[in-house]
Amino acid sequence: MSATAEARVNGAELIEEVLKAYPEKSAKRRAKHLGVHEEGKSDCDVKSNIKSLPGVMTIRGCAYAGSKGVVWGPIKDMIHISHGPVGCGQYSWASRRNYYIGTTGIDTFGTMQFTSDFQEKDIVFGGDKKLEKIIDEIQDLFPLNKGISIQSECPIGLIGDDIEAVAKKKSKEFEGKTIVPVRCEGFRGVSQSLGHHIANDAIRDFVFDKTDPEKNAFTATPYDVAIIGDYNIGGDAWSSRILLEEMGLRVIAQWSGDGSIAELENTPKAKLNILHCYRSMNYISRHMEEKYGIPWVEYNFFGPSKIEESLRKIASFFDDSIKEKTEAVIAKYKKLTDDVIAKYKPRLQGKKVMLFVGGLRPRHVIGAYEDLGMEVVGTGYEFGHNDDYQRTTHYVKDGTLIYDDVTGYEFEKFVEAVQPDLVGSGIKEKYVFQKMGVPFRQMHSWDYSGPYHGYDGFAIFARDMDMAINSPVWKLTKAPWAK
Amino acid sequence: MAALRQIAFYGKGGIGKSTTSQNTLAALAEMGQKILIVGCDPKADSTRLILHAKAQDTVLSLAAEAGSVEDLELEDVMKVGYRDIRCVESGGPEPGVGCAGRGVITSINFLEENGAYDGADYVSYDVLGDVVCGGFAMPIRENKAQEIYIVMSGEMMAMYAANNISKGVLKYANSGGVRLGGLVCNERQTDKELELAEALAGMLGTKLIHFVPRDNIVQHAELRRMTVLEYAPESQQAEEYRQLAQKIHANAGNGTIPTPITMDQLEDLLMDFGIMKKEDESVIGKAAHVA
Amino acid sequence: MSQSAEKVLDHFELFREPEYKEMFANKKENFEYAVPLEEMKSQVEYAKTWEYREKNFNREALTVNPAKACQPLGAVFAAVGFESTLPFVHGSQGCVAYYRSHFSRHFKEPTSCVSSSMTEDAAVFGGLNNMVDGLANSYSLYKPKMIAVSTTCMAEVIGDDLNAFIKTSKEKGSIPAEYDVPFAHTPAFVGSHITGYDNALRGVLTHFWDGKAGTTEPMVRKPNDSINFIGGFDGYVVGNNREVKRILNEFGVDYTMLCDPSDVWDTPTDGEFRMYDGGTTLEDAANALHAKGTIVMQSICAEKTAAFIEEHGQEVARLHHPVGVAGTDEFLMAVSKLTGKPIPESLTKERGRLVDAIADSSAHIHGKKFALYGDPDLMLGLTAFLLELGAEPVHVLSTNGDADWAAKVQALFDASPFGKNCHVYAKKDLWHMRSLLFTEPVDFLIGNTYGKYLDRDTGTPLIRIGFPIFDRHHKHRYPVWGYQGAMNVLVTILDKIFDVMDADTNGIATTDYSFDIIR
Repeated sequence: MSATAEARVNGAELIEEVLKAYPEKSAKRRAKHLGVHEEGKSDCDVKSNIKSLPGVMTIRGCAYAGSKGVVWGPIKDMIHISHGPVGCGQYSWASRRNYYIGTTGIDTFGTMQFTSDFQEKDIVFGGDKKLEKIIDEIQDLFPLNKGISIQSECPIGLIGDDIEAVAKKKSKEFEGKTIVPVRCEGFRGVSQSLGHHIANDAIRDFVFDKTDPEKNAFTATPYDVAIIGDYNIGGDAWSSRILLEEMGLRVIAQWSGDGSIAELENTPKAKLNILHCYRSMNYISRHMEEKYGIPWVEYNFFGPSKIEESLRKIASFFDDSIKEKTEAVIAKYKKLTDDVIAKYKPRLQGKKVMLFVGGLRPRHVIGAYEDLGMEVVGTGYEFGHNDDYQRTTHYVKDGTLIYDDVTGYEFEKFVEAVQPDLVGSGIKEKYVFQKMGVPFRQMHSWDYSGPYHGYDGFAIFARDMDMAINSPVWKLTKAPWAK
Repeated sequence: MAALRQIAFYGKGGIGKSTTSQNTLAALAEMGQKILIVGCDPKADSTRLILHAKAQDTVLSLAAEAGSVEDLELEDVMKVGYRDIRCVESGGPEPGVGCAGRGVITSINFLEENGAYDGADYVSYDVLGDVVCGGFAMPIRENKAQEIYIVMSGEMMAMYAANNISKGVLKYANSGGVRLGGLVCNERQTDKELELAEALAGMLGTKLIHFVPRDNIVQHAELRRMTVLEYAPESQQAEEYRQLAQKIHANAGNGTIPTPITMDQLEDLLMDFGIMKKEDESVIGKAAHVA
Repeated sequence: MSQSAEKVLDHFELFREPEYKEMFANKKENFEYAVPLEEMKSQVEYAKTWEYREKNFNREALTVNPAKACQPLGAVFAAVGFESTLPFVHGSQGCVAYYRSHFSRHFKEPTSCVSSSMTEDAAVFGGLNNMVDGLANSYSLYKPKMIAVSTTCMAEVIGDDLNAFIKTSKEKGSIPAEYDVPFAHTPAFVGSHITGYDNALRGVLTHFWDGKAGTTEPMVRKPNDSINFIGGFDGYVVGNNREVKRILNEFGVDYTMLCDPSDVWDTPTDGEFRMYDGGTTLEDAANALHAKGTIVMQSICAEKTAAFIEEHGQEVARLHHPVGVAGTDEFLMAVSKLTGKPIPESLTKERGRLVDAIADSSAHIHGKKFALYGDPDLMLGLTAFLLELGAEPVHVLSTNGDADWAAKVQALFDASPFGKNCHVYAKKDLWHMRSLLFTEPVDFLIGNTYGKYLDRDTGTPLIRIGFPIFDRHHKHRYPVWGYQGAMNVLVTILDKIFDVMDADTNGIATTDYSFDIIR
């Protein structure tokens, strides 16, 4: 039996073993989400985007997290109201590291928590009047805001508040101000994913369709592109943008990390939308393709192999001058990436990684690990759909363990059995695995480091993975007298 | 002191639920029982005949004014009416906004925490229409009402509602111990009304507690915002309510777990009694034909 | 290109390099359509004025940067403090992801908690099936000794009945009939995380003491000599509970700590993940009924629980997060009064050491002006301590403190000459605090991590005391209670004072005459 065939068999046995802990009904349902990748299959043979089982400790969040936390929150010159009780806004306050530049509280509002702090009376009598007053108070105290979004928390949909009517009325009152009602109540859908979609639709309906295309004086060029689906975590979009500009392209908008409302408004004037996080922003990309005829292309800026491939793919949409500059960019950074690989590969060669993240990362970062000689032996998506798993087949090797919407129990058991050298996942998982003596990096927040995108980011990525795996602390976990 | 008895009146809107409950409770008060009425209808009209006043200050309207329900005192919301019956109205939002169901939960929690039930023999919840959401089921949760009385009549929608309420009671009956006390039929003078009510009660696994005949004196009393017990204590109608009160009083612990019926069964019952005509299947979905 | 393999630049330095600075300027200039610089600057200045402050304080509907979280967070905290207990939050699943992240960011520890993952269908039909399946799954997978149920606002709005749902789940065989599932309704739109702690803890005690939701006979109290200790929602729970245990052991009293997450939020890294560790045993939780009395360390946070315990015949000592000499005196005297045991000499000696330390350092704190915000009990404890140090707690603010709380703070002001020009602000947020710091500046700010924005904007140095602390490590391991705890608080304050003093006197040939090596 070949090595990978053996891995497949071991993986299947492991899954079977883990499922034994569930009640029968639940084991049956979870079985569909767990699999071992077989070379040549069109997807990873797992079901996805289905309700999480109650009581299993899913890692997923909710639609509000997808809209406020991911898509809308980073738009820096708007005020995003967490509409409902205080908690949702509090827990998501400034915790996602969407870097931006601006004077917070004056012309930018990214790391602030605006909430309607619903009380019992607001639930019983409805919150629309309070919302109106909140918008008035925002205008009074934060007059330089460029727009307001209303991010619905669970109760809004349950008590039947008409936030659309409030938004419309107030928008009129404030001379066509952009006020966006977003129906991202946490109980909608099965994860963050529906929140992304709802947020995309809200941009379509309340930014594109309600804005005069002449609002911002804008001179188009043939090289205008928009970065879509980069949330600038630790500065990711910046270390990406710099490469695109060096290629000769003009980045007219960042969606949505360090983004401004004007950038969103101008995006329909782009020649090409370049899409990093497919999961969270494919909807608006498809819409712009249909309505404005803007093509879109997916790219991957993790690790030199994928960066190089992506730069050429993006350049292929433009003329030879761009293509030439692109080659120059690749050449320029060759020494840096060679040096990084020369320094870190010997320390990381052959190390096994298990991932569990959201969005694009369960597949996109695999290339970066491989550039460093590492191997990803298990991966899964918090809120992926089937099209994500289809895209994953290009990245994973035969025999890779695949786990969709993994539960706390499964993840612990998988790691225990596979014994990887590194786990990449989120804050809720970090300490579980570190206690087990397994090196860990948070792959949502870059563990407070970053950026990881682009060539500059790759150096940091390599340094961080080395730092995690080769930290001397992992040699201290057993007392010398322990048996 | 006898154990606190908690009951609730449910029924379709407009069926005369509040009138029936207030007259019955007035009769119970006449028997020397200490009564607390908790109105759980946003319209806040469950206590007007006892208080001779409409829409008193409700728990929720005062809480909204004060900021939160924690800022209220019991005295602010509790009024005393005919024969020292204590009255509280939960209140709630205008139709079409907010969540009246949550309001019921809020109010009952407030009353319990502030000792509103101390010293009462009876607490009676008067609940809007149907059991439409979790909030309106609050009075039938464990340690709340022990028996539910459904006010109904021989009309189709009233019976439909009675069956629905039974479903709500059943949901909580196994875990919480709430029981269906029985049906109270308010006469509407439909065909074979008494027989129909008895038949429905049988099917629901309960009994018809009392058949309250129609009498205009009820309207006369209502115009004066009074119960019949107070307006015309000597009348035959007052006597009917006294009988109903005695039956309810004697019914403690005799409630049953209801056996709700299917729509088909209900339709069959209505057809048996001629309330509903057999449908002509051939005309369903056909628009009017204009010659 | 600034990046190199030799010296890897990350976000701290990378974006200060010229190529990035230029890129930022271009982006702003060409694509952001930003507010003109002058307009921006004038708003910056305007936001510092009294006029802006008045507008700000006239807010009726909007909350900006509050210092409070929602009820279920506190319920999870309470549940985590019991032996092998799994917190189970009935409602939307995103909430639980948030609570777990929030605690993990503060304690740098895993926090196990499950959700019943209610979705749109459950919003319409109620969440009974989610409870039935959820309890079965949790029980099978995580093998807890107890599952403590609370609710998100979703379940509360639709009116789900936990008692009935749990009973139905048992009837359907999700969990054994005699299995312990205490519960508490914890609507997020009432109170704050401290209310949730209170409700959940009372829920656990109600379960054990009052007959397990009608399934057994209520327990009968047989008073003994032990006491109970309730710490409340406390970001320093790891350090504090250990310190309190040490103190109670010094006394030689029998005690039960009701809710003790100090082990599960401080597990070793030794190759094993402990989902459960330590905590109040279920047996102890039940037998706590027989105690002589209960010390409630944060009585605003455990108001209903305290009343519940009193109703069951115990004497309750109500404290407000005592910090400092007098605060700790009060705590120890309460223990002594409840147990009849004298205060041990060893602790009296510790007291003397604390007084000694204060005497050594008081010159640097005396007369310094402070602004502080946080949970209401903590504010009472810190205000008292600052007054004791001769400092002036000029602005004391709490988002989840009410008028009763404010009156208690005012009483502290009134009792001290240092409280003369001090003000208390109930139900206010950190945007209000921002106006206070601009219009009536102070020397230092005390608060949680979010205070760093105020520090940046107003230049008021932040001393991190409170919850959550995300951006400093391991603070939760050090107690703030007891004389030793007060010593830690004192040193934390002093360190910042000295750091600021040094930073303020290091101008070469301008201010460095005061750059003393002895302070």
